[in-house]
Amino acid sequence: MNMKRLIVAFGCALLLTGCASQQPANNAAFIDRPQLQIDPEVNYFAAVSEMLEERVSQPDGSSLLKIQYAVEARSDADLAWKITWFDNNGMQVKGVGEGYRKASLLTGQTRYFTAVAPHARVTDYQLHLREPKQ
Amino acid sequence: MFKLSLVRFVVISTGLLILAGCAAPTRYIDPAADDGAVAMGMDYRDFEKAATEAVDSMLESGAVTNPNGGRYIMVVSRISNDTMQRIDTDQLTKKIRVALLRSGKVVTTTAVGLNGAEDEMSMRARELRNSEEFDQSGVQRKGTLQAPDLSLSGKILQRNLTVGKEQQVEYYVQLSLTDLASGLAFWEGETPIIKRGSNKSVSW
Repeated sequence: MNMKRLIVAFGCALLLTGCASQQPANNAAFIDRPQLQIDPEVNYFAAVSEMLEERVSQPDGSSLLKIQYAVEARSDADLAWKITWFDNNGMQVKGVGEGYRKASLLTGQTRYFTAVAPHARVTDYQLHLREPKQ
Repeated sequence: MFKLSLVRFVVISTGLLILAGCAAPTRYIDPAADDGAVAMGMDYRDFEKAATEAVDSMLESGAVTNPNGGRYIMVVSRISNDTMQRIDTDQLTKKIRVALLRSGKVVTTTAVGLNGAEDEMSMRARELRNSEEFDQSGVQRKGTLQAPDLSLSGKILQRNLTVGKEQQVEYYVQLSLTDLASGLAFWEGETPIIKRGSNKSVSW
């Protein structure tokens, strides 16, 4: 009986090991990067209600990643946001500038913001929302 | 007499030391993390905002993508400064040029321009043709310079208004991208930058 249990347990363990995600060869496997990063202070006055992405077709057959997100304001406030773009290997792809874009929100207002990736090789992004100090 | 001078010296020195201690220390500002105060004039953040919006819009529209593959060649035409500030419009156009170049869709020619070539060396290097002093195998051949397909032009406007006890300064960054083959503006954009502040602030 004990031997039977041992064999079953061993078999299950082998199966589980087989199902576990394999370590891919490229470095992207080691990246644990959330697409949406919201500072705790922002949660007091706003919430992200939508987060959409699509690839915009270009005349030469390529496409660019475009994202759109919506913010619902609970009170009048200022918001700063920045998108960092990444390629398939997780490497950053530079855009025009590095600074945060500022936006003002009115109570009850829903604002939609969009951004287009600077290069066709962009496949991922990180959106950071924070409260500007000035 | 000597005692009085010494007292004065000590008082003045102390005063200077206190003043020096109060002055804001000079420091580096990282553009990626700058929450500094806003000026009424146009600063680097305004140029970055205008350039970012322009490039986003250009890329999304597909106007800068050559349907036949390869890159478009762009020339920077006149960007008028119609503000009260002394602005070098290259602050704006350079950001756009760099971003478009990085996108792999557009390359800017420096061999032609409204006020002559941006880099005169393209033509100067050709003056070496037939010179016995130079190895002719390295001299640029005839007909190798590339003519532009697109032209970037625009204007930066400023309007000053009084709003109550405050001053409102409005800047408009207007840009057009013209297809030189047809003369049609394939892309146009405007970025308003509105600032409101003390009447005592100056925007020039």
